[in-house]
Amino acid sequence: VPIVPEWAIQVLQVVTILALAPLVTGIIARAEAIVQQRRGPRVLQPYYDIIKLLRKETVLPGPAGPVFRAAPYVSFAGYATIPLLIPALTTFPLPLGYIADFFGVGLIFALTSFSISLAAVDSGSPYAQLGSSRLRSFGAFNEPTVIFVTFVLALTTHTDLPYAFGATLRSGAAAVLRPSHLLMIAAFFMLLLSETGRIPVENHGSTLEFGQIEEGRIVEHSGPGLAFLRWGSSVKQLLFYTIFMNVLVVPWGLASSGRLDVVALAIGLLFAKALVVGAAVVVIESSFAKLRLYKIPEFTVASFMFAVLAVVIFLFEPSFGDRNLSVFGAIATIAAVVVLLLEFGMLRSQDVWEQLRLYALGSAVVAALAFGTAATGHGNGELYVLGAVTIALKAMLFPLGIMFVLRRLEAGARVPSVIGVPSAILIAIVLCAFSFIALRPVHIGAEASLPLSALPVAVGGVLVAFLLMILRPYAPSQLLGFLVLENAVSVASLVIAPGLPIILALLLLFDVLIGVLVFVVLVQYLAVERIAVRTDVLNRLTG
Amino acid sequence: MTWSLYALLGVPLAAVLLTLVDGWRLARAATLVAGVISLGLAIRIAIAVEHGRVLIAAGGWLRVDSLGAVFLLATGLLYATAGVFSIGYLAVDQRQSDFPAFAKRYFAYLNLFGWSMLLVPLAADFGTLWVAVELTTIISALLVAIDRTDAALEASWKYILIASSGLGIALLSIIVLYATGTHVLGAEYVPRFERFLVHARGLSRDAVALAFVLSVVGFGTKVGFVPVHTWLPDAHSEAPAPVSALLSGSLLTAALYAILRFFQVTVATGQRSFAEHVLIVFGVLSLVVASLFVIRQGNYKRLLAYSSIEHMGIIALGVGFGAPLAVAGALLHVLTHASAKGLAFFGSGSLLRGYDTKEVDGITDAGRTMPWTGPMFLAAALALSGLPLSGVFRSEFEIVAGGFAKPQYVGVTLLLVFVNLAFFGIIWHAARMVLGRAPALDPDVPRPRESSRWMIAAMLVCLFVSVALGVHLPGDLTTLLHNAGARLAAPA
Repeated sequence: VPIVPEWAIQVLQVVTILALAPLVTGIIARAEAIVQQRRGPRVLQPYYDIIKLLRKETVLPGPAGPVFRAAPYVSFAGYATIPLLIPALTTFPLPLGYIADFFGVGLIFALTSFSISLAAVDSGSPYAQLGSSRLRSFGAFNEPTVIFVTFVLALTTHTDLPYAFGATLRSGAAAVLRPSHLLMIAAFFMLLLSETGRIPVENHGSTLEFGQIEEGRIVEHSGPGLAFLRWGSSVKQLLFYTIFMNVLVVPWGLASSGRLDVVALAIGLLFAKALVVGAAVVVIESSFAKLRLYKIPEFTVASFMFAVLAVVIFLFEPSFGDRNLSVFGAIATIAAVVVLLLEFGMLRSQDVWEQLRLYALGSAVVAALAFGTAATGHGNGELYVLGAVTIALKAMLFPLGIMFVLRRLEAGARVPSVIGVPSAILIAIVLCAFSFIALRPVHIGAEASLPLSALPVAVGGVLVAFLLMILRPYAPSQLLGFLVLENAVSVASLVIAPGLPIILALLLLFDVLIGVLVFVVLVQYLAVERIAVRTDVLNRLTG
Repeated sequence: MTWSLYALLGVPLAAVLLTLVDGWRLARAATLVAGVISLGLAIRIAIAVEHGRVLIAAGGWLRVDSLGAVFLLATGLLYATAGVFSIGYLAVDQRQSDFPAFAKRYFAYLNLFGWSMLLVPLAADFGTLWVAVELTTIISALLVAIDRTDAALEASWKYILIASSGLGIALLSIIVLYATGTHVLGAEYVPRFERFLVHARGLSRDAVALAFVLSVVGFGTKVGFVPVHTWLPDAHSEAPAPVSALLSGSLLTAALYAILRFFQVTVATGQRSFAEHVLIVFGVLSLVVASLFVIRQGNYKRLLAYSSIEHMGIIALGVGFGAPLAVAGALLHVLTHASAKGLAFFGSGSLLRGYDTKEVDGITDAGRTMPWTGPMFLAAALALSGLPLSGVFRSEFEIVAGGFAKPQYVGVTLLLVFVNLAFFGIIWHAARMVLGRAPALDPDVPRPRESSRWMIAAMLVCLFVSVALGVHLPGDLTTLLHNAGARLAAPA
């Protein structure tokens, strides 16, 4: 098999990214259309668009100067430079791979964005200026997020070179499955959504100027300039996907030598990974609504907060380190982090139906953890029963039952938080950090066999559940808070006490069942007595 | 003797079934009989285990020793008397149209509540213990809300939300304990109490200490330890009086019993002074805050509720002092407090029926208008304040004496100061209610009067027990308390 020289791989890296990017964009658009039961554009449509635009003449707005004309090419040059710096195809650094570190990559991204914003100002169009000012203000928290994400990586690897990140993570899967790393992935994924202009931040295909951010900025461009901006924006998307997958999530499947077949395989795998991220994006775009403009900072702030939490947890994590990673440990850690993140979602949500859905999802994760625990030989086969009962009760009966009761009571769906969402999330993050700090000196005594780093995550979940109950003075939300609390305790129980006899576990669930019934009865009384289901009016008894 | 454990659990359940089959009169009779039988069985079990014997039943899932028997006695006494009192307390509403359904529901819940509280000291492992304690919460929340007034619903909602959340933390403590036990007991085992005690040396001290603190916070929510007591005054003041008596005298101590089981394990791992200090801190905090609230309270049922918090603080202090005398005193206090507080809440229920108000200011001259209830309510106040002749005096005296013997001067001093403060508060309010002279009465307005002999009978029983415990302890009870105390106290 022929060996591809390094300089050729270097070129290939850039070409691959540039060539694949419109295809990925096209596939996502098509998939989204199919999910939403439309026919959608052809997969190759982005290429046709680019070719069509390249043939068209350029129309310049009156006040536009050289800045406006140069911006598409400057930004595209920036996007074309970045593939040199990140591990797109190879595990080993290519000749130019070390000319800039992670901050360098960030700097080039910033330069491209800056040049487009400058062009928007130069165009004199109010829509373009609005788009660029929105991007600047909403994106204000994206840069600190990148910095904190880099901190976690740099603390792990003692360097800030993207190639080195990948290499260190590749050396042990345990590094990926730490709570701090998982949180960082969550933070980066949110950053990715906001940077690539996806829902919940921006509706990609929208032609409505009022909601536009990224699209608004380039509204005055036309002809080849617009072609390069469109192309550049899909390249940017693929670059984010590549960094996300090849550096943070699955730094495997890259070429470890220059052999032609290995390199070809790496290209195929890169494409496949990009499609996996694309699938996640499609799911999100089809299941959530775009945030109102003034809510967008909450989203970016939340992503920043996760990154901060990741750093804090990282500092306290080593004492929980699962040195010998097991499959059970991986499942447990992922499940605990996902349950925690869903709780954050409930904390953000102002809608009781959405909270119910998130709770049901969290219960399903708990059930999956029970199945996973049993499948990896911890606990015993009875955990399958527990998992099944968990799904039946907590993922289906409770949410549906509560939904039924609320529908019948005609209770309002809005459950606004007492304090703003960013402050609530900040408090929640402090609580999670507290749980890590408080549990640090505790030695359970079974470090060898149990994934103890999941324990503080679960305890953090318990604390956040309390916060949820305190911040929502609505009976249904408080009931959900109690159920979430119970979920977090279930995670802790499955993680550190998988051998708890099934009879006790079922008794616990039975107790919760009766508890929910009584809660529901009380909610009905409250509604019937016209106190309504708001509980902040319950303030007669004091002193 | 193991049959008595089954019988103790079977009788209240049988009563629940009987309440469902026929009218409210049968429900009433069944409750009365079930309560008295349960008390008898509790006494029988207590006598059987007083020398340290452990009764085990149901393949090891049920177990009672001398420590559990103390709490069984408290529950048995209040279950029986509350059944008697309820007959009179409900009779007032008898003419209302929805009374039969209401009474049936009430008696069914009451029996279930009694059953769940009897289950707590019979649990042999931490899991069952938690389940039983959570059951008591759920059932009593329904009882608190049974009047369906706005205030009752508010109290009930706060109660179930706060107590269930607290129990979530308690569950976490059990899980931590279980995890550290996997070291010596294998990956899968039933978390029985005695296994932890036997293998205490193999447990991680950190983890046990963490579990203990979590259990004090978690179960402490139900005990009413400050600062997690906020549900308690509401629930106690809004529940029907017999339920308040059960909540205060029996439910709070049942939760305390769960903490004592964790205390045993913690002590067994060689962390006695740590565990004692945790109890002392929570005890002092509860005592201080509750006695201050007692003074400024204008609602006499809330007053009694804060007094319950204070007494739970005293019991925690007694166990925390660790001297054998103090621990025995604390366990005796479980019984004396149950009888005195039962008397007080029954009295408050009778006053409520007579005067139709919960405000201290709304009641004057109760000593003459209600010649049985008034003096007995005053006697309850005196007993709760620990005056001689009452059982509370004996138990508090033992706690103080044990504290001096330890010595734990700071704790004892705080105890004495704030018990006196609460004394002033309670006596001041009770004396105004019972002895204060009413202004010239309007002859047209019907005077409050005693409404039922059943209520008086229940109060007389509680008064008798309260005084009897103060005048002379039966030899069997002394043995029982000594044996139970030895399970908690430092070896002399």
